[in-house]
Amino acid sequence: MTVAVDLPDRAAAAPRDLSRYGRPAGIVLLIVLLCFLTLYPMVMLLYGSLHSTPPGIPGEFNLDGYVGLVSAENLVVLANTVGISLVKTILSLALAVLLAWIIARTDTPGRGVLEVLITLPFFIPPILTATAWAMLGNAQVGTINLLWRWLTGSEGTLVDMYSYGGVVWHMMQYSTPFIFLFVVDAFRAMDPSLEESSRMSGATRWQTFWRITLALMLPVTTSAFILSFIRGMESFESAVFFGTPVGINVITTTIYNSITQRAQPDYQSATALGFAAMALMFLLLVLQGRLLRGRSFATVTGKGYSPNMMRLGLMRWVTFAVCIAFFVLTVALPIGQLLLSSFFQFFGFYQLDMLTLDHYRDVFSNRAFWNAFANTMLLGVVGATATMALGGIVAYVTTRTRWRGRRLIDVLAWLPWMMPGMVLGIGFLWGFATLPHAIPIYGTLWALLLAYMALGTPVAVRVASSAYQQIATDIEECSRVHGAGWWQTLFRILVALAWPAFAVGWVLIFFGIMRELSASILLYAPDTEVLSVVMLKMWTGGKPEEVSVIGLLMLVLVLLFRWVQLRFIKKRISTL
Amino acid sequence: MLKRIFATLAALFALAAPAAAQSDAEWQAVVDAAKKEGKLVIYTATLGSTYHKAVFQAFEKKYGIRIELLEARASEIRERVRIEQAAGRFVGDVHHNGSTTTWLMTRDGNLQPHGAIPNVKNIVPPYAADDIRVPAEVISYALMVNRNIVKPADEPKGWKDILDPKWNGKILSDDMRALGGGAVFFVVMYDTFGKEFHEKLAAQKPVFSRDIANSERRVARGEFPLYLPFSLQDYNQLKGLPVKPLVPQEGRPYVRFDLATLKGAPHPNAARLFMNFYLEPEQQLVFANAGYNPVIGGVIEKVSDDLRPLLATKALGTTVPERQDAMLELAKQIYK
Repeated sequence: MTVAVDLPDRAAAAPRDLSRYGRPAGIVLLIVLLCFLTLYPMVMLLYGSLHSTPPGIPGEFNLDGYVGLVSAENLVVLANTVGISLVKTILSLALAVLLAWIIARTDTPGRGVLEVLITLPFFIPPILTATAWAMLGNAQVGTINLLWRWLTGSEGTLVDMYSYGGVVWHMMQYSTPFIFLFVVDAFRAMDPSLEESSRMSGATRWQTFWRITLALMLPVTTSAFILSFIRGMESFESAVFFGTPVGINVITTTIYNSITQRAQPDYQSATALGFAAMALMFLLLVLQGRLLRGRSFATVTGKGYSPNMMRLGLMRWVTFAVCIAFFVLTVALPIGQLLLSSFFQFFGFYQLDMLTLDHYRDVFSNRAFWNAFANTMLLGVVGATATMALGGIVAYVTTRTRWRGRRLIDVLAWLPWMMPGMVLGIGFLWGFATLPHAIPIYGTLWALLLAYMALGTPVAVRVASSAYQQIATDIEECSRVHGAGWWQTLFRILVALAWPAFAVGWVLIFFGIMRELSASILLYAPDTEVLSVVMLKMWTGGKPEEVSVIGLLMLVLVLLFRWVQLRFIKKRISTL
Repeated sequence: MLKRIFATLAALFALAAPAAAQSDAEWQAVVDAAKKEGKLVIYTATLGSTYHKAVFQAFEKKYGIRIELLEARASEIRERVRIEQAAGRFVGDVHHNGSTTTWLMTRDGNLQPHGAIPNVKNIVPPYAADDIRVPAEVISYALMVNRNIVKPADEPKGWKDILDPKWNGKILSDDMRALGGGAVFFVVMYDTFGKEFHEKLAAQKPVFSRDIANSERRVARGEFPLYLPFSLQDYNQLKGLPVKPLVPQEGRPYVRFDLATLKGAPHPNAARLFMNFYLEPEQQLVFANAGYNPVIGGVIEKVSDDLRPLLATKALGTTVPERQDAMLELAKQIYK
């Protein structure tokens, strides 16, 4: 009898212990993991910014790096950086929201195909689109200007890519599809009953769009805005390609100068500038937090709904034309140029005697390319999956629980996004190289994987938390009431409902990994070469045509991924 | 008298023969030790060069020693070496980089003496080896014009010809305010013609760019008629395009690439053997045919007909590492 009583007691004690100790242990584990991924390289960089020499060289602690930032020249750099990023983010957001609404909520013809096409520019290496636009839009012999002169007979210049406008335009080609990817699923997952109520209460279509649809989209649009604005401040390629030649300097080009463009690299200034930029971005996050505090944006509730389509009538051809215009400008023109050039001996020289398949042959017969391709695929698949898993958990803890330590977790997960990539790469190098030799990270694929996870976590967290915020707590509570555990609820309810957004996040991170160069070049070892490094080698080795072949291959891969993904999403939505 | 001369010569030969035999034996020991090490890790700042890869493969084939290659830009290579050594990770053997970076790394103690290398004796002035550094190959800088736009009569003959007002707004240049070819050009022109040359050139409003591959193509497409400074090793890749390299009569600015052994190199004998191999006429000819100036004598004569006249020009001058940052600062002031 005694035994019979004792046994259930012990059995009941185990889950109780688990819930009592499991949660704090989980939180601690998460914090330790995030600290290693994000805080550790930051601490190395902070040391670099406060020390007269980089780690490993005797020197002294001082504030010279920060004091040196205060100059009229840097003020202009700051104004340029903020101004360019703000303009391009506002324009991109407006365009992306319009496109997302067209694709997700209207009966515009060919939406499925258009959705894939609109997002393509995001996945092309920026150096390739920059090259294409340099050919299309240079003031002297750019194709667009030549066409303009031929049509109008004027001597003037219609577009000049080497200008503020050129920098903004080139950046927009990345930020528009990026924001679009962020918001399109939120539009799709929205319960239209609120919009219907608005319409029934007499609001016009425009009023409903402005007051209801956009207002409900606030968490996801502000998230996308902040992410994109910060990314804009950290953008390098557009500024160095189109800005530097005409004296437009931004934070990243200044950092690049400090590190690579002088005999004695100045890591103290570069890291100090990185932290100054980070402080600025942190302010933005606080602002976003204030903006969204205390509001509820849940539109996916336990009640059934089906996202409806707005019938536009003849207007649907106008929306169709908008999508096509965007596609032609950002995809057809530059990619057409790349595709065409890949069949000629030289970029931009379209002579019949220069037709060749050599670039394709050279790339496909290049062993280093295939090794790098295999490494990148492995790192991309494992990295994107692990990062989304981590991001999903972090987002759950920070948005759906009241656990102690969740704020710290949120900040830790954000850190890598706020530090320019080329500075963060140095932080990873310093951090991983100085680990005890018994920890086999430096010089292995692990170094790259961990760096990619750290770099991808902010996106993963934003994607997941934006998706969670749309899901009402009643479904979750229902699950818990019916006896489901924490993990069961997370996976069966939240992830199950939010997975289209997760799939988008996965693709964003996967292609982020494929493109990442700043950390990769500092962390790869002879046998762990990745695609971005091979592409850099080809580029500096004077083979931009081969780089465009790889760029086109990446596009084919994107099309494949997006097609599979959208098929699954459609299937899922039709079963809702 | 004649007898005495013969006797002296015979005595000299008698002394030299065992010395040569001894040094042969010593070198053979290095070769054997290198083969035993079986591997060589090279850190190089020549990204994506097929010519270098061909020489590396020839070394692998000749000695059966596997080469592992880490390619990155000059400052990235330097920082990786520095932090690796600071953390007690001695991974790389041979360092291959521009002379400025190699000078800085010698100063910082990142390199170690390479030991005797037989082929060092073949190096010709103005290039010279020391205990740490072995000249490897030389990047030479010229002018590049678009053949369709610039008629032969209008081609600049001397460097000062680019100061003619007809080139105003028509010059595309590698950025002289940043490390690279532009900075080498700045220093050499400053040393040769003085500050006035740059002040006049700045008045020509040259457009700066930092993407060399793209700049060369911009000139080929006719966006600009003149590009400077043009690295001669890019010549082969542009064959077929309407461009022409010109070495002005005063000569060509140049920058040397050096080989050195990294501190604590795990395969020091393979490193030494590799440096010796690099200085053999066959390998130097590979580089010369790629457009680099060789560092040993008797090679330029064998170079392809189109490159020979360009390479067989006077070496005008090069950068001085000690003055590099001051010169970059001066360039910033002149070219605002």
